[in-house]
Amino acid sequence: MEKIAVPAALPNPLREGLVEERIPEPATMVIFGASGDLARRKLLPALYSLTRDRLLPARFAVLGFGRHAQDDDAFREEMRRGCDEFARRRPVDAALWTTFARNLFYQQGAYDDPAAFQRLKARLEEIERELGLPGNRVFYLSTPPSAFAPVIRSLGQADLAPQPAPGKPFARVIIEKPFGIDLETARALNRQVHEILDEQQIYRIDHYLGKETVQNLLVFRFSNGIFEPLWNNHFVDHVQITGAETVGVEGRGGYFEQAGSTRDMVQNHLMQVLSLAAMEPPVAFEADAVRDEKLKVLKALRQIPESDFERQVVRAQYAAGSIAGRAVPGYRQEPGVSPTSTTETFVALKLFVDSWRWAGVPFYLRSGKRMPKRVTEIAIYFKEAPHLLFGRKGHPIRPNVLSIRIQPDEGIALNFGSKLPGPAMEIAPVSMEFRYGSSFGMEPPEAYERLLLDCLLGDGTLFTRGDEVEASWSWISRIHACWAAETAAGKTTLPAYAAGTWGPEEADRMLAADGRAWRLP
Amino acid sequence: MSEADARANFERFARGEPIAVDVREIERELGALWQQASHDGGTGAVARAALWNLVIPTHGREALARTKALVDAIAPAAPIRAITLCLDDGAGGDLSATIESNVVSQPGGGRVVYSEEITLVGPVGAEAHFGAMVRALQVPGVRTATLWMDAAMPSTLLVRELLPVTRRLIVDTASCAAPLHLQDLERLAARTQPRPVADLGWLRLGSFRLLFAGLFDAPVGGAPLRGATRLTVRHRPGGDVSALLIVAWLGHLLHWRPLRASQTSDGGLRFDFERADGGSVETLLVPTGGPCDASAVLAIELENGRDAYVVTRDAIDEAHVQLPIAPPRAVKLDAYTDADLCVAALGPRGRDPLFAQCLQVAGRLWSLEARAGGSRR
Repeated sequence: MEKIAVPAALPNPLREGLVEERIPEPATMVIFGASGDLARRKLLPALYSLTRDRLLPARFAVLGFGRHAQDDDAFREEMRRGCDEFARRRPVDAALWTTFARNLFYQQGAYDDPAAFQRLKARLEEIERELGLPGNRVFYLSTPPSAFAPVIRSLGQADLAPQPAPGKPFARVIIEKPFGIDLETARALNRQVHEILDEQQIYRIDHYLGKETVQNLLVFRFSNGIFEPLWNNHFVDHVQITGAETVGVEGRGGYFEQAGSTRDMVQNHLMQVLSLAAMEPPVAFEADAVRDEKLKVLKALRQIPESDFERQVVRAQYAAGSIAGRAVPGYRQEPGVSPTSTTETFVALKLFVDSWRWAGVPFYLRSGKRMPKRVTEIAIYFKEAPHLLFGRKGHPIRPNVLSIRIQPDEGIALNFGSKLPGPAMEIAPVSMEFRYGSSFGMEPPEAYERLLLDCLLGDGTLFTRGDEVEASWSWISRIHACWAAETAAGKTTLPAYAAGTWGPEEADRMLAADGRAWRLP
Repeated sequence: MSEADARANFERFARGEPIAVDVREIERELGALWQQASHDGGTGAVARAALWNLVIPTHGREALARTKALVDAIAPAAPIRAITLCLDDGAGGDLSATIESNVVSQPGGGRVVYSEEITLVGPVGAEAHFGAMVRALQVPGVRTATLWMDAAMPSTLLVRELLPVTRRLIVDTASCAAPLHLQDLERLAARTQPRPVADLGWLRLGSFRLLFAGLFDAPVGGAPLRGATRLTVRHRPGGDVSALLIVAWLGHLLHWRPLRASQTSDGGLRFDFERADGGSVETLLVPTGGPCDASAVLAIELENGRDAYVVTRDAIDEAHVQLPIAPPRAVKLDAYTDADLCVAALGPRGRDPLFAQCLQVAGRLWSLEARAGGSRR
């Protein structure tokens, strides 16, 4: 087919006054690791739902790239099954799918084979020619982490990811977690990536940041005049951040043995949530302004002194127990896990942000597998009233707690005391709740929908910058170093907790020592 | 009232059934029933919520039934105190009143939002009392919107009694019997300024407009629009008003100057425009059959002498788009209920300055048709 000349577009006057103005430019998304689970369960369903909501440009193509041999039709069939099962907008509409699937393609190849990337380039150009696409490309690295550097190197060698230039098509790269396994590997990966790509081309994805409540945290803090004045050490007693899962290692024992909860959940998801909860107001809601403020929080995290390590860090491993009425094995009995494993499936941390705003306010973080329920939330505990006018001896008044639920049932609740009707001065806790589903009559979009759309639009606000990743690893790596030293000295402390409980007693004691207790979310 | 009667009333109220009350005692009765709900709900104090007072004038029992169904559908998405004003030829001499609850439950079954609905029914002539009743029944400090959809209601009620207390007027141009009403509406919109007029018809056209606008996103861009020579809007017979709004929308945004109007042999309308660069644009409104929602618009086709850019509705919620540089593509259209649109009209989308501007242009276009001796009036 003849190549179509694509002139520089004039502005579209018909967009004036329309509600949905964030429509990306036509582009092709190349998914590396397209035969994997993430593409089938999350990425293609998200792209289909965006198409269903008319948020993608009219001309948009997806080219899957993987080691597995299959043709375009087989890839389309597999992705259709994924959308049937996982798309937010179901059932999949037959006519829409026909149009959507027409622009799905597949290319086999190895991640470190230069010839495969030359074939990929030729195929991309052919698709762009046929569909009249201007050459904008997003490369999604949904591969094992070991393939990140080879893929990016190969992209560079094939001249598929040129640096940004005015008037030229864009090339962006989305990198899945984990970004490194410690500070050294994260730094090394950043160096390798920067040899090929400019930082503004890199979109390190943390799907927690695509969740509506995480974004709403910024709106909640910075668009409501009543909360931000309380958001500091004058009024906040402490903060609890919980990331609990009911699942075990789900067949990924080999991976989890290397990662543990700290790498799998804390370094990325919980640190991002912490930084959003604790950051100063950015000067603008723009990518670098927001990320600058998050970085300051991560840099202000006080390193835990060796002398306080036992009091501020608890790790544990789940033992056999019960989840949802079903007996489940202990971690060491899971497939792919060493029977003498010292990998943590639970971690609880007490940390401080050394800033003017948060001086003296402890942040308690915990994350665990095989907990009684799947929940991620931030709970802000406010200080008690200065004079307990209504409390009776033995009947303390419960503190005000603002809980921000990230998943499931995204929403915000504020607990406060209210007088019970009647002659006696009895006080009962009541809750004001806001839930996305019931307040807006709609469920929020999937995190991947938001993040893929943002990347296509060139908005990096909800992605992690290289220096943020390194700052987070810098703090976490100290914990790993202490654990390594413990192991080397033969002093490993790794309590067990029964599956289906909220973690070991040691974690409860960590808070009890401060006169506090974990919230039951 | 005996304790048994009170109990029975409460149970009916909790089920959302109407309770007849004395017109002078509406607030007191509501207060008493909500208080009882707090005691009997089993989940602690109930919270009554209202983001808007929504006044809905309506004529006749059938229209009243439709209005009540609409209020029931709005309540889960937007807590309102609904005040329905009904003129009924068969009603007795005095105003009668009923009250109802609307309870929205959360997924687990717990009740989270409670709102209420007041219905006043009276014979023709009772509209003289409606203004004072509305002023008395407004929840203090809460904005009032008026949903004016029933052309059988006397316009004096709206203009004299309701507009002074209305912060947002909601209409539905798709139910205008003829484009003539557009000019009435335009005058009304001018009168309500700076308070916005929201149009369900305009909102209903939103997804079609969005789809058509999307054809001119990069890399196509706005260039084909600059050289437009012909615009065709296909619509269901009787859907002239929606089609006229589409023409007005494009004419306004593309700075086309209307020159003349004429009837076409197929029962449609033709408007000639002058483009900003002096070129001419022929615009046709063509009545035709096909699947459609209440917006009545079936297709928008724009030609520039070389290429065509087309959005065609294939079903109520399906369309396809045609561009010169890509194969036809199926897309989904949002299918909105009137309740969805009312909720949208109460939100930020109900403050669309573009609607007021397009309404003005549509009114001008219709006056051109009149000067051409139009037969549609």
